[in-house]
Amino acid sequence: MSEEMKPDLTHGEPAATRATTPMWLFVLLLALLFLGGVYFDHHSGWFSAKVYAPYTSAEEVEQYQPRSGAAAMRAHGKQVYEMVCGVCHGNDGLGKPGQAPPLAGSEWVNTKGDNRLIHIPLEGLSGPITVKGQEMSFPSPMAAMGAALSDADLAAVLSYIRSAWGNQAGAVTPEEVKAVRAAIGAHPQPLTAEQLQTMPE
Amino acid sequence: MKTGFRVFLAVILTLGLSWLTFVVAPAVQLGRAKLEPVLNSSDTWPIQPSGDAALGLQVYRANGCAACHTTQVRQEGVACEVVLTDAGNNPAAVSNLLSTLKLSGLTKEQADAVAARIAAAGGKTETHIVPTGADIARGWGVRGSVAADYLYDAPVPLGNLRAGPDLANVGLREPDLNWQLLHLYAPQAVVSNSAMPPFRYLFRVQKINGTTSPDALRLPKNFAPPAGYEVVPTPAARELAAYLLSLKADAPLYEAPFTPAIAKP
Repeated sequence: MSEEMKPDLTHGEPAATRATTPMWLFVLLLALLFLGGVYFDHHSGWFSAKVYAPYTSAEEVEQYQPRSGAAAMRAHGKQVYEMVCGVCHGNDGLGKPGQAPPLAGSEWVNTKGDNRLIHIPLEGLSGPITVKGQEMSFPSPMAAMGAALSDADLAAVLSYIRSAWGNQAGAVTPEEVKAVRAAIGAHPQPLTAEQLQTMPE
Repeated sequence: MKTGFRVFLAVILTLGLSWLTFVVAPAVQLGRAKLEPVLNSSDTWPIQPSGDAALGLQVYRANGCAACHTTQVRQEGVACEVVLTDAGNNPAAVSNLLSTLKLSGLTKEQADAVAARIAAAGGKTETHIVPTGADIARGWGVRGSVAADYLYDAPVPLGNLRAGPDLANVGLREPDLNWQLLHLYAPQAVVSNSAMPPFRYLFRVQKINGTTSPDALRLPKNFAPPAGYEVVPTPAARELAAYLLSLKADAPLYEAPFTPAIAKP
């Protein structure tokens, strides 16, 4: 190593001296802290794992939950359908060979009125039936599956099958179910397709 | 350097604090994530992928799909839409009122005010929640992606470049297995202006032995193999296609609410 490359140690190691911090630095830092606080308030969602943009708090997420009556009724109808009806008619509404006819696109479901349709789950159905131009018969009749359901549940499930899988018929109200149930009275026998056809739609 | 220790301490503190807040805290929060309940339903989210789909994620990873495709839908906001369900006893008055009101693109408060005015006129309404944003407008999803969507994915193939479309909902857009396989073998056979390279090595071209295999691809003329040969997918292609079909983030969740459209057939 040459002589010139040696560090000059005559003045010792450089050291920092003390001086007063300028006021503007404090102002700048406080301003940045304030801006950070505003940003935090707007975007942090208070670090909740369930708050995503565009929401800013759990309360705001809560405010935007869907509460519409019809959507809730349809969801309830789907739940009842899959528990009670889907076992035989299929969760896709296509029916099951040897068990039950399809409901999707069925003319027995997409009726103008809902009187006939309400009778089916309340009284049951037996014998051959023609659905979508195809004559079908099943080894065992449909029991009165809907007799044990409440008016609201039955209305929800019938509204569901009339609006699901491309069906586009009107909703069924609990009042209509109640009226039909009262008209049937006690101990109904399973209906046949011919009997159903004599009833008003 | 007399201040060496203080500098060291400051560096450790700064890095340590960001490590705690950006790595440890999210891992603690989301590391224990469980299945989410689907709104208005007894179902949970996400749906466990089939074995093929789970293997398909590894094929997706091995072939670098995430280099050109993202699997995350961004959402910019939510809008409320007021929908009339029942015109009530005085339909003329309600329809007159409707023609003067703005019914979509509202905030929650505006929607409540509109619903109250219609209710005062005797009509019944429901308020729908509609997520908005450029990704949603492109048809890439019905809502923004949230952490719960990736619960079964390891690793999560989020991706950060969109040379191709987002795939978070490709299983909804193209639910046909044959479309997916055809698209992997010859992207231009189904999307004529696609920039995607073909993944032919995921398929086997073999001589037809007597009868055509049931799973042979039905290719258009200019992509078809020579006469007497057929193209069949390898297990890797099937797994990748199963994974792509499993990509559908369409359940409304608490953290990503929307009002689903009536179930389609």
